[in-house]
Parts: sequence; structure tokens; C-alpha cells
Amino acid sequence: MAHEPKLLEHEYDGIREFDNPTPGWWHALFFGIVGFSVFYLMISTGSPLYDTPIMSHDKDKLAWIKSLFGELGELEPTEATIVRYYADPADEYAGQWMPYAESLFKANCVSCHGANGEGSVGPNLTDDAFINVASVTDIYDIIQNGANAGAMPAWGNRFHPNDVVLLSSYVANMRGQNLPGLPPDGEVPAPWPTLDEIGGAAPEEFTEDEENAGAG
Amino acid sequence: MAAAAAAEATFAQTGPSDPQIDEFSYDDQIVRMFLWATLIWGIVGFLAGVIIAFQLAVPQLNFLPEVAFGRLRPLHTNAAIFAFAGNAIFCAVYYSTQRLCKTRMFSDTLSRLHFWGWQLIIVSAALTLPFGITQGKEYAELEWPIDLAIAVVWAGFFGVNFIGTLINRRERHLYVAIWFYIASLVTVAILHIFNNIWIPVGIVDVIKTGELSSFDNSLKSYSVYAGVQDAFMQWWYGHNAVAFFLTTPFLGLMYYFLPKAADRPVFSYKLSIVHFWSLVFIYIWAGPHHLHYTALPEWASSLGMVFSLMLWMPSWGGMINGLLTLRGAWNKVAQDPILKFFVVGVTFYGMSTFEGPMLSIKTVNSLSHYTDWTIAHVHAGTLGWNGFMTFGMVYWLAPRLFQSGRLFSEKLASLHFWIGTIGILLYVISIYTAGITQGLMWRAFDDSGALAFPKFIETVTRLMPFYWIRAIGGTMYLVASVIGVYNVFMTWRMRPPTYDVPVIRAAKLSKFYDDGPAPASRLNANVGLGHAGDRFMQAHWHRRWERLPIRFTVYVTVAVAIASLFEIIPTFLIRSNVPTIASVQPYTPLELAGRDIYIAEGCYNCHSQMVRPIFAETQRYGEYSKPGEFVYDHPFQWGSRRIGPDLHREGGLQSSFWHYAHFENPQEYQAGSVMPAYKHLINQDLNFQEIEARVHSMAMLGVPYGDAVNNSVEMAREQAAQVAQEIRDQATNYALVDDLENKKVVALIAYLQRLGTDISKPAPEDDPGVAGEGSEGGDS
Repeated sequence: MAHEPKLLEHEYDGIREFDNPTPGWWHALFFGIVGFSVFYLMISTGSPLYDTPIMSHDKDKLAWIKSLFGELGELEPTEATIVRYYADPADEYAGQWMPYAESLFKANCVSCHGANGEGSVGPNLTDDAFINVASVTDIYDIIQNGANAGAMPAWGNRFHPNDVVLLSSYVANMRGQNLPGLPPDGEVPAPWPTLDEIGGAAPEEFTEDEENAGAG
Repeated sequence: MAAAAAAEATFAQTGPSDPQIDEFSYDDQIVRMFLWATLIWGIVGFLAGVIIAFQLAVPQLNFLPEVAFGRLRPLHTNAAIFAFAGNAIFCAVYYSTQRLCKTRMFSDTLSRLHFWGWQLIIVSAALTLPFGITQGKEYAELEWPIDLAIAVVWAGFFGVNFIGTLINRRERHLYVAIWFYIASLVTVAILHIFNNIWIPVGIVDVIKTGELSSFDNSLKSYSVYAGVQDAFMQWWYGHNAVAFFLTTPFLGLMYYFLPKAADRPVFSYKLSIVHFWSLVFIYIWAGPHHLHYTALPEWASSLGMVFSLMLWMPSWGGMINGLLTLRGAWNKVAQDPILKFFVVGVTFYGMSTFEGPMLSIKTVNSLSHYTDWTIAHVHAGTLGWNGFMTFGMVYWLAPRLFQSGRLFSEKLASLHFWIGTIGILLYVISIYTAGITQGLMWRAFDDSGALAFPKFIETVTRLMPFYWIRAIGGTMYLVASVIGVYNVFMTWRMRPPTYDVPVIRAAKLSKFYDDGPAPASRLNANVGLGHAGDRFMQAHWHRRWERLPIRFTVYVTVAVAIASLFEIIPTFLIRSNVPTIASVQPYTPLELAGRDIYIAEGCYNCHSQMVRPIFAETQRYGEYSKPGEFVYDHPFQWGSRRIGPDLHREGGLQSSFWHYAHFENPQEYQAGSVMPAYKHLINQDLNFQEIEARVHSMAMLGVPYGDAVNNSVEMAREQAAQVAQEIRDQATNYALVDDLENKKVVALIAYLQRLGTDISKPAPEDDPGVAGEGSEGGDS
């Protein structure tokens, strides 16, 4: 009997319908999901068990800042700091932070300065000539505040302060590669100081950990 | 006269117990017209799709502004949805409703008005979208005069004709296909009207100046909704356009043509009832899943997610009823290309309606959103479900409508099926891969804690092989469809000199009808609630509804309206949904003109303006977007796909000159870029006089322009001169266009430089909404 479904009496333009019940697994899944939905709505509305996307984001960001900059503290944009982070052979400086700075450069700078800094809309960064730059801290100022009537945008409100210092260091280190690209523009400043001139590899006294200052 | 009087007298004597037999014929001519329209627009829509697929692989194909990706993509979606699927729906409705109701359509005149009105709408879409005349809301791009025409043709011609036919029916009860047609008719009308509430700039201009407006302004309108609310309304519409334009009418189509073609009874009448009502009620809530992780309030996002999950089983009810109807007919599937189309179509429906709920889960969505995954999902549904159900119907109808006795070639139909199926698989598999690849690349970090793929372009060039495979798959689907059209054309040529019009005889419905006794409970135990439940489960009450078309329609409307209002009313009334940010100011008149160019060029088809609060995303683009930043965005431009990078924090990111040079030659400044060149924006003059009416319209929508309303043109010229000077100052050794300050590109650059910058400006006065920004660590 159970294998022979009952045919309903009605008929529409020759189409008939069986009186089969709705499948049991269909009911189970449907009502199961309805139950879950009620539960989920209760959990997700102001319950401590649930993080909104913004809460998760802020936690992720805090964890990132701690893991990345926890040991650096807040970098001061001094000549010594900028030179040390590219020139110091010690692994925790150049080796660790320059790949990070390179990623920042690729994400934000290459559309104007070319894929390897050889220049495009913005000047070639790999030659010896710089525009309005006398020292490495001037590089920092230009990244932080912009230059040339906005041709170079200001990045100070987009980056973590440490990012700007590390990026300055990365850009300072590009000098002298002389990649083929835009011709040199501007003045040739005195050579950047060597590691010895800034007082060797020893790091400065760290300032107190202020990991969140200016984030965002 | 005398005979008629006599007949009347006889009727009066015998009374309703002896029903009068009517003689009538079905209007198949209108079905033939819709069939041809389906096929012709299908080819147009698929061809547009193939072109834009190749444009992504070869950006040089964007050689004319009128057929650049941003303008052709809306044409493709509109043609595929409203022209191809639309005419297919009407073809199915006009053929099956007449037969299921045993009556001719209510009015032949309305049928013709519907047909020609709809084709006229499609032609006007093709004449406006390539010229940048668009509202800039996806699948609702058509400008306001066409919107009005759609409302008249849909509700006034189609709606009246359809409901009139139901009233004139000679079949007591409505078959399940008709239920789905009713739901489609009612809901599409509601969605269309409420999403398309706008202020027409041209009308404002006429009222204000007493003179006729310019051509562009006459066709231009601004959505009355802004930002978060506009996004909510748009995706309430967008999602339910999928539901009630691409799903419910095709379920109706399936319920008629599949059992006909298989010559088998439908699997379960009870399942039809349960899945119909649950589908109609639940679908309408699900729209917010298109806006997960955006500035939409979290409660709406959660509702959208759970209702999408709940939708899984109601959707699968349709698939089960389709596939299990073929029980006992599987041997036929091997032989009959029509059943093959139906089986694959229904299977794709099942896959898409499983995938949809899955994609609506927030964490899955954080990966899939803005990637090609969504595009693959949509095309599994449209090419598989809508396309193949349509072609199955067309092949079944062709020999019947053209009275040729048989299809011209079963073999060609099979060939169509196989090429089409392989085309779909190539399309979706490559684009699924592309979507997941891009989504994973966007969020990947390397060991140094930096983004692993910081250059957005890396995530574009990586997709090139998939874009090629997709284009080839799409081309196969197009070729297969051309074979189909040829087959139908040859079938048409086998038609008789004149079509036979069979006379149908059926009894009128009597005024009186007895539903029969309500069923007794079949339970033995003496529990009142159990008995009530068992009586309910026997659905006698629903059987009664099925013979009351007006009441049925009202119930469907109530189900849809209640669900909508539960979400819409809080979205508009709860102020905390959109916390005000004091530093966010209206766009300047020039920036507004630039924004209109952004919309007209269809930039939103490739660029989002919504940085989600996801860490990989704020690392790439900057601070996540806040609801209060969009309060002057009529319409919103959050976008749905990132073929190019997000632009919400674009302001100040590049120099104005860089934008100029990049618009002129994108590939020169970004090797591997797939962006079209926008040289015409550099060469064309901006019509400054048009700005005044636009600012005025915005002011009418409540944007606080103050005095700017009266000197907007002057202000725009002043700012244009500043931006042009800035570009000149920044450009070295670059040939800029003469009188740059008059060109469109200046307005667009002014807009781009403004995007997302207000939030970092000082507030006019102390405001907690701004002071709180960026202080995440304050409590740690």
C-alpha cells in the first residue's frame, strides 16, 4: 500500500497530482533550521557570546598592533632610527622590518613611483637626486604631510606612525640603485649617514608602549 | 435576437443545475509572439554577456564609451532578466493560464498592449543604458520614464489581463502553477514601485525655471532614499527580483510544462502547498544578506542571514516536486531532450538554492562578497535554471504552437543541450575558482604581518586564465542557443498554411459550489489540539482558497507585505541605525556633477565604495565605512563587485594629476589593468548649467545645500578652475587638454578626491560621533 501513492481526483488540463506526504527529512531540516534561527537571533542580539563584525575587527587590529609593534614601541622619526632600520645588519631590524615596509610600498606607492620605485607620475626614487630632501627625515616629512601641491598625497592619517618611519627607511634605502626609469630630478643631497655615524647598532631607549596612538 | 431570447429563457427554466456549455478558443498567437521575443532577446542578452566577458580578458575591447564594460554590463543584466526571462515568463503564463483556467485571455487588446509595451520598454533600455542614462542601482538602472512604463505595462496591462482571466475561468480550482504566477505578479509590482521612488530632475527644473530642461536632466532622477536606507531598499528589491522574477514564475512554468512533457502526475500536492507559502513568506526577508559587513545595522544583517537559511527547504520543495515527478519516467529522460533540459534546469535550481543560503552565512560571505563567486552563483541559476527551463519549454511548445507535428530536429536539440551544459560548467567552474582565489588573496597575510598581495592588480592578473575560460564557456552557451533558435525557425517553416484554431467546449462555473464536508480528524486519541492539527494537515481549507482567486491574491499580498514591513519600518525609523557624523557635509556642486558621471559611466559595476570592518580590508583600504558617511548619497554606490579596488577611501590617495593620466591611459599607469580608458571624459565639456537643477533636486530631498542652491554653477566653475590648476601644477612633461577646467574629467576627479575624506576632517563643533573614531585601544 505504502508504495502505491494515491492519485488525487482533481485534474488540470490533463495534469494530475499524487497525495504523497511531504518528506520527513524535509520537515526535520526545515524546523531544525527555524529553531537554529531563533537561537541565533537571540545570541546575536546583544549577547556577550557574539562579537559583531566591528568588535571582531577591532580585536584583530589590536592583536596585530601588539604583535607587530609591541617590541618596537613608538618609533621616533629621527635620522638615527630611519637609518638604523635599513642599515643595521642585525636581523631584528633590516631583516625583519624591511619586507614589511616593502609590502606597504607596494600597496600604496607603486601606482605613482613605479613597481620598483623607478618613477612614473611621481619621481624616480632609486637615483641620487631628490626634490626638497636634504636628509632622511625630510623623506619622513614628505610621506607624512605630502608635497608639491598634493601631487604627493599626505599619508600621516592613513598609516600607523611606525609605518611612516619604516616606509621612510625603506625609501631612503632605495637611493643609489639607479634603476632605469625617469631621469633624475631635483638636488643631490649629501650621502645618508652610515651606521657608525649615527652611533652604531644599539637601539635607542624605547618610549613607553603606546600601541594605539593614532591608530587608524 | 429571438434565438438569444429563447436560449436565455431555456437557461432560466433549467437553472444552474444544468450548466451552459461555452464554445471558445485559446489565443495562441500571443504565445507565439512571446516565444519569438524570448528567443531574439535571449540571443541579444547572451551576446552582450559574451562581449563583457571578453572585455575583462581584453580591455582594449572597451573601444567606445557606449559599449565599455560599465555601460554594457547593465545592458546584459537587463536584457537577460527582463527581456529574455521576462518574455519567457509571459510565454509560459499566456499558454498555461488559458488552459489551466479553460478560458481565453481576458482581453486580446490587453494581451497586445502588454506584448508591445514590454518590447518597447526593452528597446528603450537598449537606447538609454549605453548612453549612460541610468539610476545607478543594479537591476533597477532604467530611468524614471521607463520605470513608469514598466509599472503601467506590468500592473495595468499584464496584471488586469491575468486577474481578469482568473475571474473568467471555467476551472473551479487554481492549479499550483497559477499560485506562483499570482505571487510573481503581485510582488514584482510592489518591489518595482517602492524601490523606484525618485525625484525627476527635469520636472524640478521645469517647476523652478518654467522652461524645459536639458535632455540629460529631463531623463535624470535621484532616489529619495539615501545611503543605508537606499542600500536596504535596493537589495530588498534586488534579492526579490531574483525571487519573484527568476524563481516563482519559473516554478509555475515547471509545474505546468514538466508534468506535461513527462506525462506523469506531480509528486505531491501537499508539498506544493507547504513550499509555496513558506517560499513566498520567507523569501522577502532575505535581502539584507547582500549587505553583510556593510554599514547596514547588524540586526538587519542577522535577519537576512537566518531567513536565507530558512529558505533552503522551501526552495528544495520545488526541486523535490520537480525531480520526483519524473519517477517512473527516467527512461524517457534518456531519450527526450526536453526532459534533459528540465532535469538539468531543476538540478541547477537545487544547487543554487543550497548555495544561496550558504553564501548568506556571514563568515562565508566575508570571503565571497565582492568576488566572482557571486557571479558564478548567479549564472548557475540563470544559465542553468532559467535558461534551460525556458529552452525545455520552447522545444515542447514549438511543434504545438507551429502545428508542425514534430520538432524540426531532435538531434539538434540534443546538441543544444550538450553544448549548453558544457558551456555552463566551464563558465561556473572557472568563475567559482576565480572568486575563491581572489577572496583568499585579498585576505592573505605574510609572515611579516603585512598583506601577502598588497598590490590589488596582482589579484586581477591572477584571474586572467579563468576569465578566458569563462568567456569560452559563455560563447558555447550562446552558440548552443543559436542552434536552438535555428531549430525553432525550421520548425516554424514546417507550419501549415493557416493555423488550425481548435474550438474548446467547457461548462461555465455555476454560482454555487459546495466545498464538501470538512474532513474529520483521523486520530483516535481524545486530544482536542491533535484533532485540530490533523484537520489542518488535510488542507481542506486550502482547497477552498484555491477556488477564490481574489482572496488568494490578497493573502499572498499580505504575506509579502507583512514580511517587508517588519524590516523596512525599523530601517527607516530607528535613528541609531545611522549615527550622525558632524563632519560629513554634502557634496559640492562640482562633486555632485562628478558623482553623476561616476554613475553614468557605470563605475559601480567594478568598484565598491564600502570598506568592510574586516582587518585585511582596513589594512588595504583604510578605516572601515560608517553609516553616517552616506547620508547624502542619493543613490548609494556601495557596489557589489570588486573587479577594481574599493574606492571609498580614494580621496587623497592619488594626486589629481595621477587620476587624469590614469583615466587617459590606465594600462600605462597600472600594467595589467583591465580598466577601460576614459579619454572621452577628458575631451567632453561638462554642462555646468545642468548642475543648478541637480543641486536644487538634492535640496528638495533634504540635503542641506543652503545658499549653494542659488549659486551652484558659479561654485562649480570656481572649484573646477582650482582642480584644473592643481592638475597643471602637478603635471610635468605631460600634454594636458586645453581649457581643462571645462572638462568632465575635472568634476569626476573632484568627486573621487572627496570620497571618504569627511570623516578625518574636524567637526564643526564637538560631536561624539566623530570623537569616538579610531580610539579602539582606549579601553585596553
